[in-house]
Amino acid sequence: MTGFLIQRLLQAIVIMAVMSVIVFAGVYAIGNPLEVLLPPEAPQDIRDAVIKRFGLDRPLWEQYGLYIYNLFQGDLGRSYIYNEPVLQLIFGRLPATIELVLTSVIGALVIGVPLGIWAGYRPNAFSSRAIMAVSILGFSVPTFWIGLILILTFAVNLGWLPSGGRGDTVEVLGVAWSVFTLDGWSHLILPATNLALFKLAIMIRLARAGTREVMLSDTVKFARAAGISEGTIIRRHVLKLISIPIATVFGLELGSTLAFAVVTETIFAWPGVGKLIIDSIQNLDRPVMMAYLILTAGLFVTINLVVDLVYALLDPRLRRRAAP
Amino acid sequence: MKPFSWAIALGGLLVATAAGAQTLTVGVRGGPESMDPHFSALGPQADAVKHIYDTLVGTGVDLQLEPSLATSWEPIDDVTWEFKLREGVKFHDGSDFTAEDVKFSIERIPNVTGPTTMEIYIRRIADVEIVDDYTLRITTDGPAATLPFDFVRLFIVSSAAAADFSDIESATEGFNSGEAAIGTGPFKYVSWEPKGELVLERFDDHWRGAAPWESVVRREISDDSSRLAALKAGDVDLINYVSSADYLALERDNDINTFLGDSVYVMNLQLDQRDETPKVYAKDGSPLGENPFQKKAVREALDLAIDRETMVDIVLEGLGTPARQLMPEGFFGSSDEIEAKPYDPDRAMELLAEAGYPDGFAMDLYCTNDRLPGDGAICEGLGQMFAQIGIDTNVNAISRSVYFPAQARKEYSAFMNGWGTLTGEASYTLGSLAHSPNEEVRMGAFNRIEYENPEVDRLMQAGSKELDADKRRAFYEEAMKLTVEDRAYLPIVVLQTVWAANADAVGDVATRADEETLAFYIQPAS
Amino acid sequence: MTDASAPRAISPFRRFWSRFFEDRIAVAALIVVIVFAALAFLAPWIAPQDPYDLAGLSLRDARRPPGYVGSGGYVHWLGTDAQGRDLLSAILYGLRVSIQIGIAAGAVALTIGTTVGIVAAYARGFTESVLMRVVDLQLSFPPILLALVLVAVLGQGKMQLVVALVTAQYAYFARTAYGAASAERAKDYVEAAAATPLSGARIVFRHLLPNAMPALIVVATVQIAYAIALEATLSFLGLGLPVTEPSLGMLISNGVKYMMSGRTWISVYPGIALIILIVAINLVGDHVRDILNPRLEK
Repeated sequence: MTGFLIQRLLQAIVIMAVMSVIVFAGVYAIGNPLEVLLPPEAPQDIRDAVIKRFGLDRPLWEQYGLYIYNLFQGDLGRSYIYNEPVLQLIFGRLPATIELVLTSVIGALVIGVPLGIWAGYRPNAFSSRAIMAVSILGFSVPTFWIGLILILTFAVNLGWLPSGGRGDTVEVLGVAWSVFTLDGWSHLILPATNLALFKLAIMIRLARAGTREVMLSDTVKFARAAGISEGTIIRRHVLKLISIPIATVFGLELGSTLAFAVVTETIFAWPGVGKLIIDSIQNLDRPVMMAYLILTAGLFVTINLVVDLVYALLDPRLRRRAAP
Repeated sequence: MKPFSWAIALGGLLVATAAGAQTLTVGVRGGPESMDPHFSALGPQADAVKHIYDTLVGTGVDLQLEPSLATSWEPIDDVTWEFKLREGVKFHDGSDFTAEDVKFSIERIPNVTGPTTMEIYIRRIADVEIVDDYTLRITTDGPAATLPFDFVRLFIVSSAAAADFSDIESATEGFNSGEAAIGTGPFKYVSWEPKGELVLERFDDHWRGAAPWESVVRREISDDSSRLAALKAGDVDLINYVSSADYLALERDNDINTFLGDSVYVMNLQLDQRDETPKVYAKDGSPLGENPFQKKAVREALDLAIDRETMVDIVLEGLGTPARQLMPEGFFGSSDEIEAKPYDPDRAMELLAEAGYPDGFAMDLYCTNDRLPGDGAICEGLGQMFAQIGIDTNVNAISRSVYFPAQARKEYSAFMNGWGTLTGEASYTLGSLAHSPNEEVRMGAFNRIEYENPEVDRLMQAGSKELDADKRRAFYEEAMKLTVEDRAYLPIVVLQTVWAANADAVGDVATRADEETLAFYIQPAS
Repeated sequence: MTDASAPRAISPFRRFWSRFFEDRIAVAALIVVIVFAALAFLAPWIAPQDPYDLAGLSLRDARRPPGYVGSGGYVHWLGTDAQGRDLLSAILYGLRVSIQIGIAAGAVALTIGTTVGIVAAYARGFTESVLMRVVDLQLSFPPILLALVLVAVLGQGKMQLVVALVTAQYAYFARTAYGAASAERAKDYVEAAAATPLSGARIVFRHLLPNAMPALIVVATVQIAYAIALEATLSFLGLGLPVTEPSLGMLISNGVKYMMSGRTWISVYPGIALIILIVAINLVGDHVRDILNPRLEK
C-alpha cells in the first residue's frame, strides 16, 4: 500500500511539472502579460524598464528556470495585479470556494441519490418521471442562465434572498466560514443551488441507472424470493453497487466544480478563487495562474487517488490488485 | 417653546443624526489593486484610493485642474515649477502635512510601483527641492508644460507612516494591513481584501470639511447584471457603470435615480499605415499586394461608411455622442473647427472605386469585447456598415488579454479600442497616438499603426515645451485637426457613463468625466 | 448475470428498434431531435434571413419585439437581436452551429476517451499507468484556460472550440470506461479468457466494451448536452465563437444583458430552443441506454 502511495505521489509531481510547462508556454504564446497592464500612454523606455524589472525580457526557458528555482525556495511569486504573495491571495479566498463547492456537491449527493434510487426503484411511477424531467432540465440549462434567473426571481422580484456577496462569517479554526451563520446561509443558498443543479442531475441519473440494473438482477430476485424486505435489499445491494460509479463521479465533480465555480462566483459576486482565476486569466496574471493551476493539478491527483482507494474499498475484487 | 416646534426641532435633530450616521454602500465594477496608492495607475485603483489620499493637484467634474494639497503652481523658469502647498492639513494619524511628504511620495514611486506603472506621472521630474514646509520646487528634464496635469494622480502618503513600507516587498503588506495607509483624504481606511469589500470611515478633520457619510462600503461586483440586481434588491445604495442595455428601463423606475455623465473615452478605429499589413485581403482571400489603408480615399470611404448616429442611438441606446475627434469636445487642445462627420455610403463606394477597389476587399476587424461598455457591439455594428459599402468584414471581438499583446506585436490591420484622455488635455492623447513612434522624444508609444505626419510631430514637440497655455493650446488644436483630417484614426463615439442609486438613500451624484465615484461628492437623500 | 454476447434469434438491430418504439416519450423525443436536425440542416433554405450576411442586416431593426415588421418587409416572428438579426433565422442557424459542435466534440471525445480507458484497463501495467496519468493531467486543466490559449494561438473558430471541448471532455469518457472496464477485467472469467489464446480484440469487444457501454452512454448523453452548454458558457465569458456566426449559446449570452430591462425574448427564445434540443437528446439517450444495457433485460 505504501508503495502505491509513493508511486502516486511521484506521478503527482510529474503532472504538476508538466502543467507548469504547459501554462508557462501557453501564456507565452498569448503574449507579454504586461502589455495588458502597462498604461497605454507609457513611453517605450518605461515599458522596457518595467518588462525588464519583471524579468519578462528574458527567453522563455530562463523565465521558467527562474520560476522553478524560486518554487523550490517556496516562493511562488507575487501577483502582477495585487502584489501580494500568490499563495496568500489564493488561500485567502479558498475557504469561500470550498464552502460553496462542498455545499453544492454534498447537497447534490444527499438530495440526488435518494431521488435517483426512487426513480430507479419505481421507474414507471409519475413521481419518478417527474424526477427525471427535473434532472434532464438540470443539466440542459446553462449555469449562467439559471444563475441570472435565480437572482431575478428570488433577489429582485421576490426580495427573499440577497443577490450576491458572502454575508456574515464566523471564524472557526482561524478561517472565516459563512455556513455557521443564518445570514451566511441566506447568501450561500442561491449560488449553491445554482452550482448544485448540474451535479444533482448527474447524481440522479447515476443512482437511477444503477438501481434499475440491480433491481432486475438475479441477486435481488432471489433476495425477494427469500422474503428479504425491500428496505434491506436497497441498503444491502442497491446502495453498495451504485456507490462505485457515484464515488467516481463525486470525485471528478468535486474537482471540476472547484475549477468551474468561476461562472457562479462571477454572477453571485462570491469572493472565491474561481473569480480570482478568471480575472487573472483575463489580466494574464501569470503568477496567480501558475500557482492556481499547479495547486488544482495537485488537488485533482489527490482526489483521483482517494477515488481509487474508495474503489478498492467498495469493490473487493479490485482490492486484490491494490494490495499485492 | 410650543409642543409643535419642539416636534419640529426634535424631528430635525433626528434627521440630522440619521444623516450623519449613514453608511453608503456602493457596488463598483472594479475594485482597487492595493491600498498603496503608488502601486497602480489603473482607473478603479485611483477611484478607490482617492477616498483615503489626496492628490497634489485636484480635478473638477470636467477634469479641469483645481487646487488640492497644492494651492497654486507656476513655472519659474523653463525647467522649474514651484508649488505652494496647503497649510493646516492633517493626516489621519493627526500629524501635519508638509513638503517632506510630497517629496517622499514622489521618490518612493519607482520603488513600489507595479506593472501598471505610476512612473508615467513622474517621468519628467529630475529633482525635487524643498524650499520650506509649504513650498516645493520641481526641476524637470526639459520644458515640461503639462507637469501639473501629471500630478492629478500623484497621491500623497504620510512620510512618517510609510517610511518603513517603501520597497516592493514591504509596501503591500504595510498598506493593506492599514499600518501605512495614512492619508489626508476624507475617509480613513478600515479594511479591504482583493476583489472584496473596501470599508472606510469618515475622517472628521478633513481639510475640505467632513464628508456627508459616516462610513462607506465599496463592494466589487464586476458583472453588470449582478450589480444592477444588487441595487434593485437594496443590497447596495449606488452602482457605477450601468449598462446601456438597462439605462432606458431604469430611467422609468421611480425608486431609482440615474445620473448621466460624459466620459473621457472615445472609441477609435485604427488603420495600419505600414507598407505591408497582415489582415487585409482580396475578396477571394488572395493577397492584395498593397496596403489599401495607405490610400486616403480608402480611409475616407471607411469614415463615410460609419453611421455614428445609429451607433449612438441603437448600439449604445443613447449612452454616447458621435465623436468628431480623438477626445471629447471642450478638453484642452480639442478643436472647435472640426465638423460632425457625415454618413454617406454612396460617396464611400465612389471613393473605393476611385482608389481602385470598385468591388471592395476583405479585412479582419479586431476589437476588445470586455474592456469598455459596448465595445464588442460597436465592433459588430462597424462590420455591418463596412459590409454595406462592399468591404467583407470579419469581426473579431475578443478578450483584451488576447487583443493587447497581439496589437502590441502589430498583428492587426484594422482594429478598434477605446482611448481615455485621463488627464483632460491633448498631449496625453495625441502624444501617445498621433506622434510617430519615437523613443528619443518619448512619444508615440501607443501609435501601433505607425501613423506619421511630420507636421503633427513638429506641433506636438513644440507644444510639450511651450509653457504658455494659450500658445500650447493652439499647437494641440492644430495637431488634432491634422490628425483627424488624415483619417488614420477614425473616432466613432464618445462614451457616456451612468450611475444609478436608490432614490431613498442617495440624493445627488457628481457625474465626473473621469468616472470616479467619490463618496465625498455624493449627497444623501434629503 | 447473462452473457451479453449470447446469440439471439432475431437481429439485434431490429430488436433494438422494436423495443425503442415501445416508449412513446422517447419516440416523441427522437422526432424532435430529427426535426431540429432537419431544421438546422435546411436553415439556409427556410430561414427568412441569412444572419451571417452582415450586409443584409440593419441596426435600425435591432431589439424589436416579436411580431415586428422590419426593414426587410417581413415579420420577425420571434423579434430581433441587438444587431438587428431576425431571431428565428439566428436560432435556425444557431441550431446548426450548436448541433455541429455538440456532435463533433461528443463523438471525438467518446472515441478517444473510450479507446484510452479500455486500452488502459486491458493492458494494465506501464501502459495503464501512463494513459491514466495523462487522463489525470487532462482533468486538472480547466477548459477555460485551454480555450483562452487556443483562441490566442489559433484564433476564434469552430475547430478551435471543438478541440478545446474534446480536450476538456475526453478524459471523462476515459475515466468512466476505465472504471467499468477495469472492474470487469478483474473478474475471474476475463482473467481466465486473457490466459487463453483468445485474441485481445475479442476480450475488449466482447467483454470490456459491452460492460462499459451503459456507463459510457450515460456519460455521452450528458457530455453532448454539456458540450453545448460549455460552449454557451465560454461565450458568456467572452471566449466562444466569433460573434458574427452565433451558436445558440452565443445568442443566449448576447441576450442575457437585456433580461433586466424586460427584453427577454432576445435570450429566452434561443434558450428555449437549446433546452428543447438538449432535453430531447437526453431522453433519446436515456432510452437507448435502457435498451442497450444487457443487465436490464427482462
